Amino acid sequence: MASISLEGVTIEFPIYNARARRLTGELFRRAVGGNIKSDATHVSVVALRDICLDLADGDRLGLVGHNGAGKSTLLRVLAGIYEPPSGRVRIAGTVASLTDITMGMDLEATGYENIVLRGVFLGLRVNDVRRMIPEIEAFTELGEFLKLPLRTYSSGMMLRLAFAVTTAVVPEILIMDEMIGAGDAAFVVKAKARLNQMISNSRILVIASHDVEIVRRFCNRAALMETGRIVSLGSVEQVIARYLQ
Amino acid sequence: MKEHVAAATDDLRHGFTEWRIWLLLGMNDIRQRYQRSRIGQFWITLSMLVTIAALGVVYSYLFRMSIRDYLPSLTMGILVWALISAMVTDACYVFTGAESYLRQVPMSKSIFVHRMLVRNLVTFAHNVTIVPLLYAVFGVWPGWPVLLAPVGLVIVTVNAFWVGLLMGTLCARFRDLPQIVASLLQIAFFVTPVMWKQEQLPREVSWIVDLNPLATFLRLVRDPFLGTVPKPSAYLMGIGMMAVGFAVTIPFFARFRARIVYWL
Repeated sequence: MASISLEGVTIEFPIYNARARRLTGELFRRAVGGNIKSDATHVSVVALRDICLDLADGDRLGLVGHNGAGKSTLLRVLAGIYEPPSGRVRIAGTVASLTDITMGMDLEATGYENIVLRGVFLGLRVNDVRRMIPEIEAFTELGEFLKLPLRTYSSGMMLRLAFAVTTAVVPEILIMDEMIGAGDAAFVVKAKARLNQMISNSRILVIASHDVEIVRRFCNRAALMETGRIVSLGSVEQVIARYLQ
Repeated sequence: MKEHVAAATDDLRHGFTEWRIWLLLGMNDIRQRYQRSRIGQFWITLSMLVTIAALGVVYSYLFRMSIRDYLPSLTMGILVWALISAMVTDACYVFTGAESYLRQVPMSKSIFVHRMLVRNLVTFAHNVTIVPLLYAVFGVWPGWPVLLAPVGLVIVTVNAFWVGLLMGTLCARFRDLPQIVASLLQIAFFVTPVMWKQEQLPREVSWIVDLNPLATFLRLVRDPFLGTVPKPSAYLMGIGMMAVGFAVTIPFFARFRARIVYWL
């Protein structure tokens, strides 16, 4: 059983101007005393406002909304990266966030070393990753290149490797920021099949996308976000209709 | 507050259990810095050797000491000081330097403190290869006190852990703190007996050195290498710093741990 429950989650990012970032500025301000309103050092951006969301097994949620609506921030809350100072977040199940699939890879290390590195960042044990190497190796079709440092790879080859490792394990909760894809024509077909399988094997999917077709294809629920709020939550067609208005 | 403390202890516990990650990250830091250079990390050792030789000659004349007396203690002093000062400097960047990880993956923050310790201990291990050379050239042998060096190293490392946690968090919020720390360290180098010996100070002022925690850490690692057993008071101070440091850092870290990502 995987589940996600957010209650009244609000995320604010403090914007420190250069003065407040400096300790000397802080000391000076404290020493002089009194706050001059015009120098307002505590400006903040409210990225998420009072978000309530309940997801259970089988839910495939598509997040839509304009740039800066808070979709990525919400995904990061779900991934456990931002812990909200107010509100409650309860997440049960293993979470994998496919927001940056090359995260943790090292240009100087070989392909094989990077498989292990990437796997460890996905929360796997080194021995488990080692066991998965033959399968990943076959899927990437990189052959001898896996013995060479990553810097000798083309960007497409690097993405292939990252994709192969990242999709090798199916999490209970899958979080994606836009659909990922990789490689040339032949690889794209393979990659799609693998990703579809990963998505259907996960218990909960949350994907943010600007492409309503993606949401239509993969989701059974959708949420429209505007300036940090979920303004509409319901069936895919209903929400998309409102989004496209 | 109770939740904060539970989350912080969780973070610290995971930091230990995920040793594979920080070992990997720490070793990668070293490899990346010297990748594709022929002698790699030993470049640092080599440049340190040159510095020590130059300083050793000049200062042995300045202080009117024989090189035989002066160079061994100078060498060990510089080696250990390099470790201590690098740990303090790096402590400021443990979280800001891990921005790309912390903003993408929910990892335990303490992993990055361990990473910093690994990186610096590995560097120190490279530099320590000078020591047998030193013993051979000067025909000195420290005897059994050298066995106490690892004890001192452990005390220094554990202290560096809380410094990393504390300074890393503070420096994520206040971005000019690393500069302040760097300039303070520069001054600390001169007031800590690295280049000179405590005995050279007049008796009325030499007690001040005993109050300098950096001098204590230095002594705990350096003196055993030179065949001297550090005073019990040095061990007491080292362990005392540990206790005080963690007593301050744990509540601080518990309070601000979740905010670090917002500051990056």
